[in-house]
Amino acid sequence: MDAIRAEKMGKKFRLRHCAGEAREKAWLRRLLQKESRGDFWALRDIDLAVRPGEVVGVIGPNGSGKTTLLSILAGTMVPSCGELKVNGTVSSLLELGAGFHPYLTGKENIYLNGSILGMSQAQIRRKYDWIVEFSGLGEFIESPLQAYSSGMAVRLGFSVAAAADPDVLIVDEVLAVGDESFQKKSSRQMRHFRDEGKTIVVVSHDLNLIRDFCRRVVYLRGGRVVCDGPAEDSVGHYIRDVHSGLLKGGAGLKVRHEWGTREAEIVSAELLNSRGEPAAQFLSPEDITVEVGFRAARELPDPVFGFAIHDAAHVLCFGSNTQLDGAGIPKISGAGRVRFRLKAPPLLTGSYLLSLSIHSGDHLTTYHRQEFCYPFAVVSSRRAEGIFSVPVEWEFGRETPKGEKP
Amino acid sequence: MLKRILELRRWGDLIRNMVLRNLRVRYKGSALGFLWTMLSPLFMMLIYFVFLRLLKIRIELPELLTGILAWSFFSTCLSDSVAAITANPSLIKRTAFPKLVFPVSMIAANLINFLLSLAVLVLFIAGYAVFTGYAVGAGWALLALPAVVGLNLLLLFGLCNFFSCLNVYFRDMEHLMGILLLSWFFLTPVMYPIEKVTESRSGELLLNLYCLNPMVPVVTLYRWVFLGKIPPLVAGFWVSIGITLLLALGGTAFFLKREPLFADEM
Repeated sequence: MDAIRAEKMGKKFRLRHCAGEAREKAWLRRLLQKESRGDFWALRDIDLAVRPGEVVGVIGPNGSGKTTLLSILAGTMVPSCGELKVNGTVSSLLELGAGFHPYLTGKENIYLNGSILGMSQAQIRRKYDWIVEFSGLGEFIESPLQAYSSGMAVRLGFSVAAAADPDVLIVDEVLAVGDESFQKKSSRQMRHFRDEGKTIVVVSHDLNLIRDFCRRVVYLRGGRVVCDGPAEDSVGHYIRDVHSGLLKGGAGLKVRHEWGTREAEIVSAELLNSRGEPAAQFLSPEDITVEVGFRAARELPDPVFGFAIHDAAHVLCFGSNTQLDGAGIPKISGAGRVRFRLKAPPLLTGSYLLSLSIHSGDHLTTYHRQEFCYPFAVVSSRRAEGIFSVPVEWEFGRETPKGEKP
Repeated sequence: MLKRILELRRWGDLIRNMVLRNLRVRYKGSALGFLWTMLSPLFMMLIYFVFLRLLKIRIELPELLTGILAWSFFSTCLSDSVAAITANPSLIKRTAFPKLVFPVSMIAANLINFLLSLAVLVLFIAGYAVFTGYAVGAGWALLALPAVVGLNLLLLFGLCNFFSCLNVYFRDMEHLMGILLLSWFFLTPVMYPIEKVTESRSGELLLNLYCLNPMVPVVTLYRWVFLGKIPPLVAGFWVSIGITLLLALGGTAFFLKREPLFADEM
């Protein structure tokens, strides 16, 4: 039996026509006409089956229906059409510290918040010490919440939510709360839930986190499921859409393009044209020179500098590194520069994305990688299909029928 | 509907904690705290008493205080009810529990205040009787107190459910509530004894109509319980109790029908 099963599920909202419209007018209009013309489908035709113990990520641009989907799964909203069945108890981490009141002490808020999440008094009492311990609030637990920093309140909220022991967990952007050490703790807790076999549905804008945490990812766009499959596929599809400009004005979109230990860091990078001027557009087959400034926090032996060029659809066109090209660097420390020149790259007209990286010689540690961070355009006089240009010679001849004398 | 009301039992701990939150927040930081529950009706009684003397309306103090306590329970609940849902948008949108918890816990918090103030009322009546020789006709009627409180709660349950839900769709209710309560106040025998109405010569029909106000049975029954004053048992009085039951059912049905869409509207 599925933990969550949605069939042809949709959610319709009535649009408020303009922000300035007086409420009573809207109310009257609603009385007069049952079906308002300003209906808006936040979700449409959602088919989703989640098996028990499955961890599903939900991604998509703002306004794609992610939060609406979670709200429906969590039971705070009802779908306008279709079927939804959720088996088992659901706990939603849609909002941490729901119902927290600044006048109440941490302890009082734990009981209030816990019961809002559906825990019984006895359950909360059993978990109380664990919650206090996990939140790390110590004796602050007896002071009113208004004395807390916002980070402390959030930590308390997460701790209560983590103590609820549901079958299905609905999580919205709460994996990264509090300071760094608490973040580690909370993500460890989420992993613990995952390994315990809880069904988890999580929404986040942090694609790397989603990719790490979920094996399966659902990509929503305009209220519909665009892609539902392995994390790599859905995330890749989404990133491609973002970069191809399909998703216009992706405001608030946080595609984290960089990662790494930062033991060595790329501090600057510049693309130079054949005249040595910074440029973002190149006339094929002009030389492209890339100058990378880096800083190493400590002495690093045998570092490898690499780059990759992808097209707008994120197809890898070309990539190489100092190791492959036999330009080994014995060690780096402090600040420095690396420069490489792409000699007459035979690229066709289009937009491309340059990625840069510094990693260890054994490829085990990525010091810093900037994925798709440097877009550039190429204009080529050659008109052809594809990404790179290959000189072609055509020949034309007529087949001579056999037996006929030339 | 009954099923969904009974479902609340599963959320008993939540209601309890919401009531505690309500009471704690109300009295946090005030020096006299709970005492205000008792002090403010007493002050109000004195003010009304002086004012009514000037108007030459004769009413005994215990009668006045009974009316004031019943009325302030009613009016506090009603004015709190409009915000019961709309003041908690994040809880409505982001958490899943029966939303009836909001009006129910609000009424319950006010009920605790009310019951405590009734204890003060009993002391006051006793003291008043001793010092002035005021004849208290109460006795066995006190046993009916739970039933009268029950009737009062049914009325509040229906009305608060209705208004808390209505305000989600029609925010003007917040502002209308003050006017509604003011006119309701004058139609209810709080500042005047019910005899002002029963003994006026305006006729049987008008008395019956007057009694249709569901607060008339509530207030006069409280006076019966504590002071032994017989309520006006005319037809309108019984119809009014019937109306209370209908309001309880209707208001709750309205609330439950609309509840699934609250999150959409906030």
